[in-house]
Amino acid sequence: MTEGLEDEVQRIGRAIAKAFPSHRARPLKALDDRAMDLASEDAELRAALFRFVDVVPACRSLDDLAAHLTGYLQEVDETPPPLRVAMRVADTKAGRAALGAASAAGVKHMAHRFIVGADPTDALPTLRTLWRRGIAASVDLLGEATVTSAEADRYAARCADALETLAEAFARMRPQPALERDTIGPIARANLSVKVSALTPLLRAEAPERGQRDAAPRLRELLRRARRLGAHLHIDMESLDTREAVLELVLALLAEPEFADGPSAGVVLQAYLRDSPQTLDEILDFARATPRAQPLVVRLVKGAYWDHEVVEARQHGWSVPVFERKADCDANFEALTTRLLEARPLVRVAIASHNLRSVAHAVARNRLLGGADSDLELQVLRGLGDDLGHALAASGLRVRSYCPVGDLVAGMAYLVRRLLENTSNESFLAEQAHGVPLEQLLAPPAAEAPS
Amino acid sequence: MKLAPFANEPVLELRRAAQRRRLTDGLATLELPVHVPVWIGDERRHGEELVSTDPSAPERVVALSARATEADAEAAVAAARAAFARWASTPAEERAAALLRAAAWLRERRAELAALALRECAKPWPEADADVCEAIDFLEFYARGALELQGGEGGQPLLQVPGERNELRYVPRGVCAVISPWNFPLAIPMGMTAAALATGNTAVLKPAEQAPACGLRVVEALRAGGVPADAVALLPGEGDAGAALARHADVATIAFTGSGPVGLELLRTAAEVTEGARQLTRVVAEMGGKNCIIVDSDADLDEAIPGIVESAFGYAGQKCSAAARVLVHEAVHDALVERLTGAVAGLQLGPPEDFATDVPPVVERDARERVLRYAQLAEREGSLTTAPASSPADGWYVAPAIATGLPPESAILREEIFGPLLSVEPVRDVDEACDRVDALPVALTGGLFSRNPRVVRHVIERSPVGNLYINRSTTGAMVGRQPFGGNRLSGTGTKAGGREYLLHFVEPRVVTENTVRHGLVV
Repeated sequence: MTEGLEDEVQRIGRAIAKAFPSHRARPLKALDDRAMDLASEDAELRAALFRFVDVVPACRSLDDLAAHLTGYLQEVDETPPPLRVAMRVADTKAGRAALGAASAAGVKHMAHRFIVGADPTDALPTLRTLWRRGIAASVDLLGEATVTSAEADRYAARCADALETLAEAFARMRPQPALERDTIGPIARANLSVKVSALTPLLRAEAPERGQRDAAPRLRELLRRARRLGAHLHIDMESLDTREAVLELVLALLAEPEFADGPSAGVVLQAYLRDSPQTLDEILDFARATPRAQPLVVRLVKGAYWDHEVVEARQHGWSVPVFERKADCDANFEALTTRLLEARPLVRVAIASHNLRSVAHAVARNRLLGGADSDLELQVLRGLGDDLGHALAASGLRVRSYCPVGDLVAGMAYLVRRLLENTSNESFLAEQAHGVPLEQLLAPPAAEAPS
Repeated sequence: MKLAPFANEPVLELRRAAQRRRLTDGLATLELPVHVPVWIGDERRHGEELVSTDPSAPERVVALSARATEADAEAAVAAARAAFARWASTPAEERAAALLRAAAWLRERRAELAALALRECAKPWPEADADVCEAIDFLEFYARGALELQGGEGGQPLLQVPGERNELRYVPRGVCAVISPWNFPLAIPMGMTAAALATGNTAVLKPAEQAPACGLRVVEALRAGGVPADAVALLPGEGDAGAALARHADVATIAFTGSGPVGLELLRTAAEVTEGARQLTRVVAEMGGKNCIIVDSDADLDEAIPGIVESAFGYAGQKCSAAARVLVHEAVHDALVERLTGAVAGLQLGPPEDFATDVPPVVERDARERVLRYAQLAEREGSLTTAPASSPADGWYVAPAIATGLPPESAILREEIFGPLLSVEPVRDVDEACDRVDALPVALTGGLFSRNPRVVRHVIERSPVGNLYINRSTTGAMVGRQPFGGNRLSGTGTKAGGREYLLHFVEPRVVTENTVRHGLVV
């Protein structure tokens, strides 16, 4: 069985790799941004550029922008030649204005690749194009952190509007049978991802019920609206500090009788967490105990807060809650994939990964378990996983693109995290961009090193 | 004696329910009231003259304590003086070992001790737990420090020339009077007492009258660890007991943490060389501040606002490190005030045992009245936005508030309020903010939110404060990581939890030996 699986993984992986759009065989290059390439090779420079991207929205003038950029670059030991030129230019006021304008344009250009529109309406052309090309979407509304209840209300209102806009627009799109039905039944077209941390300013790690109490009415209203519109509502997972609050809240709300018939809703499982298998137990226990017309969708991700989790644990002297070896995380990802696929039809499964091996493994495992390809959703991130998404769609697989929507300025913090994750040395995209051979990319996660 | 390098005692991971239960179980088994004696050597004199109560439920008695008299102070110092020679000549390894055993004693009782700090001083769980950890840290850190000091590495190597041998060593000073506050009711008395004992001094601890039970646990831990009964005495009492210690001719060192007025009085008293004095009294004083956070126009408000809220309102603003003033660039002033006001409006006022509490009550009735007086003044002089938090009926609750539009000469911008009242002022630029900070006579902690490396360097250059925090909250200094203490009128420039702290508890002695005999170097 395992051997059969491994052969299948290799075969599928190669097929997907072949389906990558040929003109963009190297996705990082496709970003046509020298900075990204430079950044992925030099940690100090990466830090400088990300600090810059992070501060752009708060800069008041071109001069201010240039001052920040050169300030960060000064802290880089060996500045690459093109950036040394930039720093010399910044010696004059006119030079700073030019540098500020150029760098602001550069950041904005980059941000456009990740953020599909300023608001849901603005995003519709892109979402339509994706749909036409066989890719569904989940929209994620970007914004500043929620520190007041007025901000939580505003975010909830934006989510409600987004549900309306998406439901109406997707209703008018032409059928895409592969995206709209699996063995269990119909799949909602309109799909919105929301963050509980944006629905309340009161999430407290040591008092989960506090944030739950405050977020519950807002999330309940969104669930009602999604049910009425026939849309899917997905609740994202963030750092471990909020996991208990988020998961308990979502499961408690979905267990309320009024939601037994809908809407379709989902949660996220983060494979980098060492105790994610226990979290999956909780989710499956819930699903068993709470029959709902539309099974819970579980999106399996690696997790995007790795640095945060490691730093927080180290600063407090706690054991690190995430896998510190990439191979261990990858192996856990595959184990969780298998458990999720075997748990169907109790849950629906979405595998969100840019790691070709992880994706190929999920597809292979699903087929070996006798699942139809439509019974497995594959998710990619807009801007980073576009080529993979198209390759998967071209291979007849069911794909959804996670599409951030919002102001470029307010979306910066989000952008930085994604960029950081995906230009790290061990990232699949970075490896692929730098020509790591396919055999290596598709190799099974190495076993735990003997300790 | 070889010890593992110092590491901070990990606080409990309270995001996990099991760890939270550990604390609430500790509270459930806490037996009150605690009977606190005047404890000198093996003599315990019990009494009920001093009553400490739960700030969140004042009818709950936490401790019934004897109240030390002048005669008690006299007896305690006499006993400590008598015990000094033996403890001073106890090898540093043995003294360090006693401190480490005291740390172990605390570790075994973490939940119970945190529960006591919670009841006696209204420290919310995370803060109460951190207080126990910090007490452990001080013991572990100073035990190592004392060993280093004895090893000769603590001092400066002396120049040696042929024919003479020079040596500098540190010896304890004598009796140390420790006068401690209630706001870190375990950590601060333990830190000052442990520093004195680690270096071979004997100590008399006069804990704050609001926290005698925590003071008792400090002395219990030290004695359980093996510090001789005579070497550390407990003198629960009020200001007069502290004053009696301060003017005692046989007190060599006063270690004090508390308010500015009391600290200055101690400095004056100590400067007076009394009849029969054989030593100048040294004062290690850690006093108040008027701590400012500067917010530049490029600050990330998503991070600045939670950081400010934590700095100003954590433990109801009753930390010497707490932020009292925000100096914000005019370009982001309105946005910051709007979001900060909204964030403060959501703060939950409540009892410390509720994990959901953001702002616990202040320590006592007088404190509440003092903060409310300042709040009224803020209303008259500028405008005050008070969180509409519903406050529980009992307890010394003060709703968190933000004052704006205050005139530059306002007392609210100068005096330490020690409560949940924060002022916000617009500034033209960071330099104007630095000017305002520089105009203050106190310099304890400061904060800066900026993403411009040049501005960060500039503010570092211009800040007089003892502890400057950049892009984070201004509270929560950790032993060994952020040695803590203020400059100017905020203190004597000492740094608790830093390597040089122990030097204030010792005196250097230099011995020079002529090694030439009849023209020959021997």
